[in-house]
Amino acid sequence: MDTLLLARLQFATTASIHFLFVIVTLGLVTLLVGLQTAGYLTGKAKYERLTRFWGTLYVINYVLGIATGIVMEFQFGLNWSGLSRYVGNVFGAPLAIETLVAFFLESTFLGMWIFGWHRLRRGVHLALIWGVALTAYASAFWIMVANAWLQNPVGYEVRDGVAHLTDFSALLTNPALGIALGHVVSAALLTGGLLMAAVSAGHLLRRTPDFDLFRTSLRLGVVTAAVGILLVQGFGFTQFAPVSQVQPTKFGSSPDGEALIAEWTARFGPGDYTPPVLANVGLGFMILIGMGLSLFWLLLPLLWRDRIIRLRFPLWLVICALPLPFVAAILGWIAREIGRQPWVAYGLLPTEQAVSPVGPGVLLASSVTFTLLLGALAVANWTLLARHAVRGAADPALGRPPQQTRPPATEEPAFA
Amino acid sequence: MELAWYALLGLFFATYLVLGGYDYGVGLLLARRTDPARRRAALHAVGPFFLGNEVWLVAAVGILFGAFPTLEGELLSGLYPAVTGALVGVIVVTAGVQLRSRPAGPRARAGWDRVIVAGSTLAALGWGAVLGGLLQGVPLTADGHVDGVGHLFTPFVAAVCLALLALVAAHGATFLTLRLPAAEVPPLLRLARRLVPVALVTVGAATVVALLSPRVRDAVQQPLVAVLLLGALVTALLAARVALGLRRTGVAFVATSVALALPVLLVGAATWPYALVSTAGPETGLTVAEAAASGPTLRLLGWLALPLVPALLGFQAMCWWVFRGRADGRTPVYW
Ligand code: HDD
Ligand code: HEM
Ligand code: HEM
Repeated sequence: MDTLLLARLQFATTASIHFLFVIVTLGLVTLLVGLQTAGYLTGKAKYERLTRFWGTLYVINYVLGIATGIVMEFQFGLNWSGLSRYVGNVFGAPLAIETLVAFFLESTFLGMWIFGWHRLRRGVHLALIWGVALTAYASAFWIMVANAWLQNPVGYEVRDGVAHLTDFSALLTNPALGIALGHVVSAALLTGGLLMAAVSAGHLLRRTPDFDLFRTSLRLGVVTAAVGILLVQGFGFTQFAPVSQVQPTKFGSSPDGEALIAEWTARFGPGDYTPPVLANVGLGFMILIGMGLSLFWLLLPLLWRDRIIRLRFPLWLVICALPLPFVAAILGWIAREIGRQPWVAYGLLPTEQAVSPVGPGVLLASSVTFTLLLGALAVANWTLLARHAVRGAADPALGRPPQQTRPPATEEPAFA
Repeated sequence: MELAWYALLGLFFATYLVLGGYDYGVGLLLARRTDPARRRAALHAVGPFFLGNEVWLVAAVGILFGAFPTLEGELLSGLYPAVTGALVGVIVVTAGVQLRSRPAGPRARAGWDRVIVAGSTLAALGWGAVLGGLLQGVPLTADGHVDGVGHLFTPFVAAVCLALLALVAAHGATFLTLRLPAAEVPPLLRLARRLVPVALVTVGAATVVALLSPRVRDAVQQPLVAVLLLGALVTALLAARVALGLRRTGVAFVATSVALALPVLLVGAATWPYALVSTAGPETGLTVAEAAASGPTLRLLGWLALPLVPALLGFQAMCWWVFRGRADGRTPVYW
């Protein structure tokens, strides 16, 4: 197998797995902020318990998700050294900003949040989860700035065969950015809401003793998912216009596309400049799923007088729908990323020029290693999520009050 | 400008080795035949800092990509097996630490602890290989690419790997003397006092191999600086040993931290002005200035880093402050 194909496959697999974690993280953290803020304002024990339960699921997903993100970050240098060489001056900046502004703070805050229960003042502890959420959104923003630049390179000029940054603000107003970001974030909200609704539905179907608790999270989840799917559809359909304007070759042939291909043929020589049709098949399925999930609007009226719980079958529907947003999200990314082929940076750098000059053996070994490793992480993640979800909210380890029995040990500063 | 960014890159990577180093050191020490409660307590000591430690690596790679894109591509792909090894190690430790306490059975937990030991070993060896590979130079072709990965497999790289492994283990043991309840400290002090000389021996061995290797001798551009920094490394380790003997665990921890940061400084300074020394001759070497991003990118990132870096350090310091002191029964149980 050639290195290009292996490198692409490796990126596609690892990015897809990474994204499975990401949408859950982004979605759940938003809901957690709501829950913990409600607890802080009302002082009700229910919200604290909800925060601890959903926080456990969130933390499991986050910590395993980090591992997949680190692989993504290194992969650019490992497999796509041409990307750094030719467009690193521009493309590297948003990624650097993202790691510094977003990830660095996000993990620092989260570490303090996990261990800070009963140790920090409640206001500080609440501020920490807000910090985690804001930095998570910041990271989604900067990552999407980077991705949008690959979709539609702007704000640069080419000197000596290398792209140099000329106008950073153009990266932030990229037509390939705004609506895509909205679409991704609402997909995450939808996924988080659906996950919360489905887990709660499972407990309600098993006639949990924690009825009141899971009733609340079911309602929160269903409403969030209903809002989320509306936004997903809105941003999704709006996306077609700007995307087909900046990437006329993406969604099938068009006069603009033909003209662009003629221009590329003149500039880069003859070649196949149309993306594989495969991409658009996935897009169709995603839209199908997106329309199907309109189901959640029908569930809204059933929240009245707990019909949704008493009828029971809506709960089964919610559980069965759980895999759908994940499938849709992967299909959406495949459409977006394969749709810009054969370019890494659309109309600027062909994918084959970006791949590192390493041997196929090395790439094959790393592809197998990372695929197995990340696949195992995804399986472990879902097993653990399921197990902790089933265990219920009786007494999660997260935020458990400390045992008062031991005498307080003498405190010495650790970093003297 | 480039120098400032190079220094910042060094600072972040060195801090990662110091902070991540004790994570992996503690991970390595799980291999000792101690009871499950002790192993849990050891992980517990790391607990609140773990997530905050690893981000230094993520941030270092971010700086590498933003400020030195050419270096990023050539360094990571040129040292492919070393970087991949380290990366797999980092991931295995991250996942293992998170997963080990999920199963209730002691056997499954012991199994996960072995996974953490393996991951920590791999991470330490991998970063050792990266540092050693950089110091001995890489075969850069005329078009600026690193030629193959066979150049990594030398006795010198192996020696540096072992040295880093020993340093990390000594550092981890020293960290535990500082963090665990006072009653647990005496055996750990003994352990740390035995590990520091091991680290000294491995550093000495790496030095001897380096002196015997013409490749390393040629690659070092600033021999005087290299010798001075090596001297500082040995001094730091000796100081750690003395401080451990005097039960000054705080001082000892500072000393082992310095010992883990110095290799980064040594590699960076000894190869200056090159970011990648070429074994094919000086004209193909990649200098720091050539490796850096162009002016506008560096200026943009500079304006950003000016307020940001103090904020990042501040929040990290807050984390250390909040969770300072010995880990006792009162810290919330998670791992
Ligand atoms: C929960 C997941 C989910 C659901 C239900 C949908 N999408 Fe989507 N879609 C995504 C998750 C997603 C995504 C993963 O977030 C993508 C990939 C890249 C991006 O910007 O968003 C995406 C990409 C994406 C693209 C490609 C943009 C490009 O190529 O640059 C289009 C045109 C749409 N979506 C349109 C829709 C429509 C019309 C939907 C249904 C009504 C829909 N999506 C439902
Ligand atoms: C926002 C950050 C992202 C960036 C910067 C990015 C960048 C890249 C790069 C450099 C490649 C390899 C070169 C190429 O094949 O063109 C690639 C390929 C790919 N990526 Fe992304 N990607 C991002 C997010 C994602 C996500 C989240 C997914 C999936 C869930 C994804 C799916 C894919 C797929 C399927 C390919 C293979 C396309 C092909 O080779 O035909 N990407 N991406
Ligand atoms: C291909 C490009 C990508 C790279 C290089 C990348 C890099 C990373 C890294 C290094 C981490 C771990 C951070 C830490 O240590 O805390 C991470 C996690 C995360 N990433 Fe990505 N990522 C990519 C794609 C994406 C996309 C497309 C999104 C969202 C739209 C995203 C959002 C997140 C979030 C929210 C996290 C938090 C942890 C989690 O995954 O659960 N990333 N990513």
